[in-house]
Amino acid sequence: MAATNSKSRDSAQRGARGQVLSRLDRWHSYRQHHRATLKSSTVKILREPLQSLLTVLVIAIALTLPAALYLGVENIRQLSGGVDASAQISVFVKKGARESALEALGEKLESLSGVASVSYISAQMAVDEFEALSGFGSALEYLDENPLPDSFLVQPLLVSDAPRLVTEIRQLNLVDDVQLDLEWLQRLDALLDMGRKLVLALGAALGLGVILVVGNTIRLAIQSRRDEITVVKLVGGTDAYVRRPFLYSGLLFGIFGAMVAALMLTALRFWLAGPVDKLALLYQSQFSITGLGLGGVITLLLIGGTIGLIGAWLAVGQHLRNIKPR
Amino acid sequence: MSMIRFDNLSKRYESGYEALRSVSFEMDAGEMAFLTGHSGAGKSTLLKLLMLIERPTSGNLLINGKNLNRLPDAKVPFYRRQVGVVFQNHQLLFDRSVFDNVALPLQVAGYSQGDIGRRVRAALDSVGLLDREKANPIALSGGEQQRVGIARAVVHKPKILLADEPTGNLDPQLSAEIMALFKRFQDVGVTVLVASHDINLINRMNMRIMRLNQGEMEQDGVSYGGY
Ligand SMILES: Nc1ncnc2c1ncn2[C@@H]1O[C@H](COP(=O)(O)OP(=O)(O)O)[C@@H](O)[C@H]1O
Ligand SMILES: [Mg+2]
Repeated sequence: MAATNSKSRDSAQRGARGQVLSRLDRWHSYRQHHRATLKSSTVKILREPLQSLLTVLVIAIALTLPAALYLGVENIRQLSGGVDASAQISVFVKKGARESALEALGEKLESLSGVASVSYISAQMAVDEFEALSGFGSALEYLDENPLPDSFLVQPLLVSDAPRLVTEIRQLNLVDDVQLDLEWLQRLDALLDMGRKLVLALGAALGLGVILVVGNTIRLAIQSRRDEITVVKLVGGTDAYVRRPFLYSGLLFGIFGAMVAALMLTALRFWLAGPVDKLALLYQSQFSITGLGLGGVITLLLIGGTIGLIGAWLAVGQHLRNIKPR
Repeated sequence: MSMIRFDNLSKRYESGYEALRSVSFEMDAGEMAFLTGHSGAGKSTLLKLLMLIERPTSGNLLINGKNLNRLPDAKVPFYRRQVGVVFQNHQLLFDRSVFDNVALPLQVAGYSQGDIGRRVRAALDSVGLLDREKANPIALSGGEQQRVGIARAVVHKPKILLADEPTGNLDPQLSAEIMALFKRFQDVGVTVLVASHDINLINRMNMRIMRLNQGEMEQDGVSYGGY
């Protein structure tokens, strides 16, 4: 009795273990199929180099354009960020003001609430700076008189105080004109906003293009593998099994395209680095181009892979349905 | 309980043509039978219903007591894994070896690599092609190709083996060999249904013959000829 019991328990245990093992087995072979599919998909992509290269290049270009625009916008934003902190009010003084009056004006400006600092730029200093920056200095020598006025540079504590200060300064004696550098900053901000929206629009349009390109490539692949799909279905391949290699192909196309795009963007960056450095030197700026970075590359790969996958998914959904048996 | 049971099955194609009309028959587990009839009689249609390539318009189809009409589409692949099927145009894939062709049903079902190797070699052995596993099927003769198709149909040890005109392009000698092969699978308990219009050949097999005529089951019984 006891013996039978233990034996049946034994076999039950073995059965249970067998169950677990076979599930584990299935998991292993599932993963194995994924790996094998990934490999064979890669091989198939490499086996048709021309069609594949074309697809990858189209994807790469479609990813490069919005990414380059994005990087451009980001770089300009960084550049303007440096200026933002030093939003300044230029106060131009009427010609012929006496020294003492200028001093009084300087003190008056310093006493206004919300002013961090005031610096005086004489007409001569302005000319010198203009010469140094523009290289057009000699042109000024032909003029009888220095065309530039004396001016003060007022640095507000807060950028938000600037507009109020401008109105107050405008009413002071001897003040000829007041310019708030914030205006062009605001304009630049609006431009950058537009740039960002353009990135999104361009990205969406080209992303859609990529989806169509990948979809078309996958459609051709499905057509050329019609026989195989039919047989696989007849011997009990699930839809997921049939779909898998094509989804992997789409994913790979997207990722390869993103890799090439990352290379293109890097090349673009080095190409622009020379001129930008020169420009930065001219403006005495520490600015240099920021590239994609590791995070950017990963994002690009993710976007490429996702778009490729979506394209493949749509093509597979549409074209596998047409192959009998269902 | 019968393995296959057709219960007043009718199939009308979308064109409106009624390829099968109220067909009824049963096959026990381990039984072998031939399906015959003129071209267009509905033989292939009947096998397609058994593979769930087509669904019946009316009537019930029971396999091992289970009504296939109630099988949802998502379960169809798993049903097909219990069935082996051989076609006249054997549908071998010429982009891979004999081994890989035969391995397909096992790969699809998620067998491990080791299992696949063992079973594929056993199946190739059973059709006498063990030494050709690395060949490309395009390099094989018609009879050999058909045997590869049979190996692929039995590699996963199906309960039911179906064949649609498996000897269509073969000479009488090779045809007889192929039929003998099917008989061997019946001997180990597989339910075998072979569609063929080769009356001479199937009469000699001395087995159950079902004859379709214009989509109707005209005759069902053990063959009368042979000797
Ligand atoms: N998909 C289909 N659509 C419409 N008619 C079909 C289809 N398949 C077969 N038929 C018709 O059904 C009839 C039976 O065909 P089939 O089962 O292939 O006959 P058999 O295999 O006995 O020669 C034929 O008249 C054929 O034209
Ligand atoms: Mg037929």
